[in-house]
Amino acid sequence: MSRIALFDYGAGNLHSLAKGLEAGGARVSVTADWGEALAMDALVLPGVGSFGAAVRALEGHETRVRDALLDGLPCLGICLGMQLLFPESEEGAGVGIGLIPGRVRKLRARTVPQMGWNDVEADAAPDPLLSELGAFTAYYANSYVCDVDDGEAVIAESEYEGERYPAAVRRARSWGVQFHPEKSSTPGLQLLRNFLAQVDGTEAAPGGDR
Amino acid sequence: MLRPRVIVCLDVKDGRVVKGTKFKGLRDVGDPVELARRYETEGADEIVFLDISASHEGRGTLLDTVRRTAEVLFIPLTVGGGVRTADDMHALLRAGADKVSVNSGAVRNPEVLTHGAERFGSQCVVASIDAAWTDEGAAGPGWYHHTHGGRRPTELEAVAWARACVERGAGEILLTSIDRDGVRTGYDLELTRAVAEAVPVPVIASGGAGNAEHLRDGFTEGRAAAVLLAGILHDGLTTVGALKEALVGWDVPVRTAVLDPDGEVSP
Repeated sequence: MSRIALFDYGAGNLHSLAKGLEAGGARVSVTADWGEALAMDALVLPGVGSFGAAVRALEGHETRVRDALLDGLPCLGICLGMQLLFPESEEGAGVGIGLIPGRVRKLRARTVPQMGWNDVEADAAPDPLLSELGAFTAYYANSYVCDVDDGEAVIAESEYEGERYPAAVRRARSWGVQFHPEKSSTPGLQLLRNFLAQVDGTEAAPGGDR
Repeated sequence: MLRPRVIVCLDVKDGRVVKGTKFKGLRDVGDPVELARRYETEGADEIVFLDISASHEGRGTLLDTVRRTAEVLFIPLTVGGGVRTADDMHALLRAGADKVSVNSGAVRNPEVLTHGAERFGSQCVVASIDAAWTDEGAAGPGWYHHTHGGRRPTELEAVAWARACVERGAGEILLTSIDRDGVRTGYDLELTRAVAEAVPVPVIASGGAGNAEHLRDGFTEGRAAAVLLAGILHDGLTTVGALKEALVGWDVPVRTAVLDPDGEVSP
């Protein structure tokens, strides 16, 4: 059973995400201590809170976290957590983990935040994070998206008011998803199981009980 | 493509789901955790809990209800009722709400929206506006915002108030027509459209849903990003699945993947 560190920036709902990971067979520890977090089998950066609060929690630890991820520690960043994988954001001052080159910028759409279910278009041969999912819709609640310098890092895209943006990215064993798998019903729970399978180095079990 | 949302609202009082009309005459319709889960299975895109408990004990019960719901619900949950401060919002978010809606609390102190947006992000902050047409409003005839479950009129004209809430940090507007609430003759499309065209955030149409045509009109004529319904589902008159099937027939591109009771996706 994998031990998953769910990092707590001090704001928002961590409950559903913890339950979603536990439903996939993980043991989840909610922590605000980077030393403890990086010692576990994998790191999950949740998608709730503001960018400012999150970078304050990260301050002074960026290099250490980046090194751990480059060294192969599996990581899943969700929404804001995905944005933290980048070096900087228009949303506020402060430095992200900087694992994936690019920048976080505001959506250009008329209606912001993007709030609701949107189609996720994965590569024809999807990354293991997205296996068993086929075409699916996922729940988004975001005002910002990530511009990625190297398109190779993008493993799925979505479109909102005519603008395409990365729905999911990957570098090393770190993944970022702009949507909320823990709020995306059955496909979202499958994605969490896929992540846990990557942590364990096994194949994802399709379906299963919730 | 972003899908128009169908949201199911549960009025919660002392840990039970209740249903009334025109904010009066309540009756028990079930357990909130069980109902929320059932509506996810039917294909609901989101769940809203509006707490109408008056007492202090009711508030504690609400946090417990939210906690138990978040353990089994894997679609977004918005919780509102009695929220006055960013700390109130924090307690609900930590219990397992994804968004918090604020009504009277924002009238008393609009800064609660700003503080909430700064701490939790504006996508967590929903401004709830209960509007009724008033011939003799403070700024002339128009829709005016009401507090205290729709009972107490304010001098806030609804469209202007919606704009003010967004400027303060609200990331979504939950717009209920008091005139239509529970009467099942359709959403107030004029009101919905007026607000939807005035603000740069999603607007949820609420109050008056009686059938699938009403939902469609809420999206098309009302320009709503989401529609909210309650009574017709709780009374067993229709299901979320049946409503969505009708919407798809009219080319309204709602999300249609639904779950069978075992939790498997069927296309």
